[in-house]
Amino acid sequence: MKLTILSMAVSILLFTACNNGSKTTNNSVGGIDSAKTEVAHTEADIRTASTKEVISAYLQLKNALAKDNDKDAAEGGNNLVKAIGNVDQASLTVQQSKVFKDISDDAKEHAEHIGSNAGNIKHQREHFEMLSPEIYELVKAGDKTGQKFYYVNCPMYNGGKGGNWISETKDIQNPYLGKAMLNCGSIKEELN
Amino acid sequence: MSRVTKGFMFLLLVLMFIQFIQPPRNKSRQASRMDITRVFPVPEKIHGILKNSCYDCHSNNTRYPWYAMLQPGGWLLASHIKKGKQELNFNEFGSYSRRRQQSKLKSIANSIKDETMPLSSYTLIHRSAKLSQTERELVTNWLEQMRYSLL
Repeated sequence: MKLTILSMAVSILLFTACNNGSKTTNNSVGGIDSAKTEVAHTEADIRTASTKEVISAYLQLKNALAKDNDKDAAEGGNNLVKAIGNVDQASLTVQQSKVFKDISDDAKEHAEHIGSNAGNIKHQREHFEMLSPEIYELVKAGDKTGQKFYYVNCPMYNGGKGGNWISETKDIQNPYLGKAMLNCGSIKEELN
Repeated sequence: MSRVTKGFMFLLLVLMFIQFIQPPRNKSRQASRMDITRVFPVPEKIHGILKNSCYDCHSNNTRYPWYAMLQPGGWLLASHIKKGKQELNFNEFGSYSRRRQQSKLKSIANSIKDETMPLSSYTLIHRSAKLSQTERELVTNWLEQMRYSLL
């Protein structure tokens, strides 16, 4: 009897194993819906909401990495994927939309990798390093929040190759080296 | 028949049945217009290394091993190839945005340096796909050059 059950279980497992891949594509549907409902707000509202959401997810991710917290970083990455999917392109200024089109597919991919790599903070940071200049360009293209941002450089990351990030505070909290070198870095540029 | 033999027979039957479910093959006879060789100059030697160590999962053409005919081995293979192509497809490289190409070149170099690619489960069976230190350097140097050409 045990064997019958076992063999049935094995066969069920085998059948389901090959169907795993097809389900992932539906995730974005929810995101599109919520973006549509946001259109009901005034135009100025959305204009700040769209890129603001992307930037705040990025900052959540950045702060998690500074705390060496791979799980929170993954959550930030997943939020960033959602935020990028939620951006209503029609609400962006011409300049923003140009930059957004340029960066969105790549930034989304980096965010996805960060989201799926809890447990591998080194890999999360590699993608964060490629993601940061893209978010920098998005911030630079103008965001209507009027919030001040800082573009910070850590020369020590990646064996002296260095890495940059966007920070919402002047206070330096290094997302590449975390607790080991939390205050390493210098402000390259003030934005807005 | 005892229960044990019954169970065994059932398993055998299932195994026989699943042989009929063959996943579609990753074989494109067409030369892609978006191939990496159309975007970058790829030296013959580099191309050879890529073909030998990467293309089974990261292109539209897989050299199938014998066990691809046997299920569930073939399914496992198909899911690996699907995932691999989703991440990176050398035959479709030209269709990526310029920025995405840059990121891909960097990520490829990173994973080769870290030796996370080619996958150890793959090189275990495909011994010749394992990269030597010199091959690793050759490929990563070329990748760096190509990335700088995009900046």
